[in-house]
Amino acid sequence: MAGVRGRETDRRKVLDDAARKRRARKAVEALEQDNFHEDPHADLVMSKKVPKFAESNEKPTRKKKSKSAEYYKLRFRKTFAQLVEEDASFRPEPPNYMSAQVPPSKFPERHFCAVCGFPSNYTCIPCGARYCSVRCLGTHLDTRCLKWTA
Amino acid sequence: MSESSCYILDNGGYTAKVGFSNQEPKVVPNCIMKAKSERRRPFIGSQIDECRDASGLFYILPFQRGFLINWDTQKTVWDYMFSKECCPVNFSDTPLIITEPLFNFSSIQEAITEIFFEEYDCTSLLRINATDLAEYNYRKTHNNKCTVVVDSGYSFTYIVPYINGKKYRDGIRRIDVGGKVLTNHLKEVLSYRQLNVMDETYVINQAKEDSCFVSQDFMQDMAIAKKKGSENTIVKDYVLPDYTSIRRGYLRDIVKPDEDLEQQTLRLNNERFSIPELLFHPSDVGIPQMGIPEAIMHSIAACPEENTENLLENIVLYGGNVLFPGFRDRVYNEVRSLALDHFDVNVTKADNPVTYAWEGGKQIFRDPDFYSFCVTREEYEEEGKALAFERFDI
Repeated sequence: MAGVRGRETDRRKVLDDAARKRRARKAVEALEQDNFHEDPHADLVMSKKVPKFAESNEKPTRKKKSKSAEYYKLRFRKTFAQLVEEDASFRPEPPNYMSAQVPPSKFPERHFCAVCGFPSNYTCIPCGARYCSVRCLGTHLDTRCLKWTA
Repeated sequence: MSESSCYILDNGGYTAKVGFSNQEPKVVPNCIMKAKSERRRPFIGSQIDECRDASGLFYILPFQRGFLINWDTQKTVWDYMFSKECCPVNFSDTPLIITEPLFNFSSIQEAITEIFFEEYDCTSLLRINATDLAEYNYRKTHNNKCTVVVDSGYSFTYIVPYINGKKYRDGIRRIDVGGKVLTNHLKEVLSYRQLNVMDETYVINQAKEDSCFVSQDFMQDMAIAKKKGSENTIVKDYVLPDYTSIRRGYLRDIVKPDEDLEQQTLRLNNERFSIPELLFHPSDVGIPQMGIPEAIMHSIAACPEENTENLLENIVLYGGNVLFPGFRDRVYNEVRSLALDHFDVNVTKADNPVTYAWEGGKQIFRDPDFYSFCVTREEYEEEGKALAFERFDI
């Protein structure tokens, strides 16, 4: 009984539109991430010389010394956001990077159950996620619904 | 001056396609990877083939959102590629063709010009969009006037119309969905439904390549995937690699639970086709953009009307995502249904979708005007970077 009541108090808490949008944006941003775990070698103290190629030591054919990777990192250091901003002044008139992005589709959005991925007809009232059956709703409430919001 | 071969580097965000024009290209991962199992060394490019246990690989990529951002990583991978270990080259006697993304940012263009002339002692350089090479490749075999090139790669999918061999900039369209989004979405879905694989990008990317297909009738396939027992022809198990007896995972039919208990598997059902579906409906994961067929129509509609017919007749698909079974047929069917009835629609899947642009580089090197497209070292020293901006149509 206590469990059910606990759920009912949860259910009264409803995420507002801004919070839902924030969640959705975070989910989309996560799709761009390269890694979800820490660098496994982060705790290793590595000499700056590693990695090096055996060949390059044997025959110094190149007359001038080649510049290190680190040099180029510092030389061309710019983030993606900086580059986009810079482009807006370099190529202000479309067509440019920003204008090439396709607009939203004119076809209606489709909805899928956040638990099992099958087409869904229902919306979770507190968080706005989709679900397809009572069973999936239960899983959703137990695992994701408002778990990650304070 | 006319050398017998040139060096072609299709520098993609996930793999680089590299090699001399008179040889076959090598497909090299354009990244550095670190493994949990080998604490001493990072793996650069194809060195990953020497890694015994590729679980939990950590990626360091030079590209972010399709643009070259991390120069130290790129320099390290390039040094590896140009060394004896991979595909050795001396740029002082070999011209270089290198690809760049469309609308590449000016400071990245400048940096590439500088690094190849000043660091790698390049004598002739041609910087070009991969889609230009693909279009050239297509035009040389089809003798057509207009082409729509669809490049569906790791970082994004570009649709680029060409009229008389020149890209029509107002018609260029980008969908921010590529192989990376697909793999990450598959990881997310599997981690929630079955087993935490968030750290296993490398393995799940292979699972995606081995298992996913593009559905021809999405709702019907959903209905099939809902069925139980032998009526469900979609559900399969993916056997995960254990790096002792299995080096790469594989897809197999469902067997009774008492057999093969040692193997760890992931059950793939609607995931098999709902993942590539994002290329056709990015809004399924909340990316408010058109899918590929609709974007093709949007692109063609932005071109002069007299070219519509010719563009629809020459749509060519390449890039890693094109390898999904059913990709071409789905694009064809949807474009066919969106286009006016009296137009013909032709959609061609590149023979080898991964190296199609690279092969175009081979063709363009044989063009009698090839050297007029390049910037030479003398020109660079004389006139500086401004000339490169003028000559290269990026």
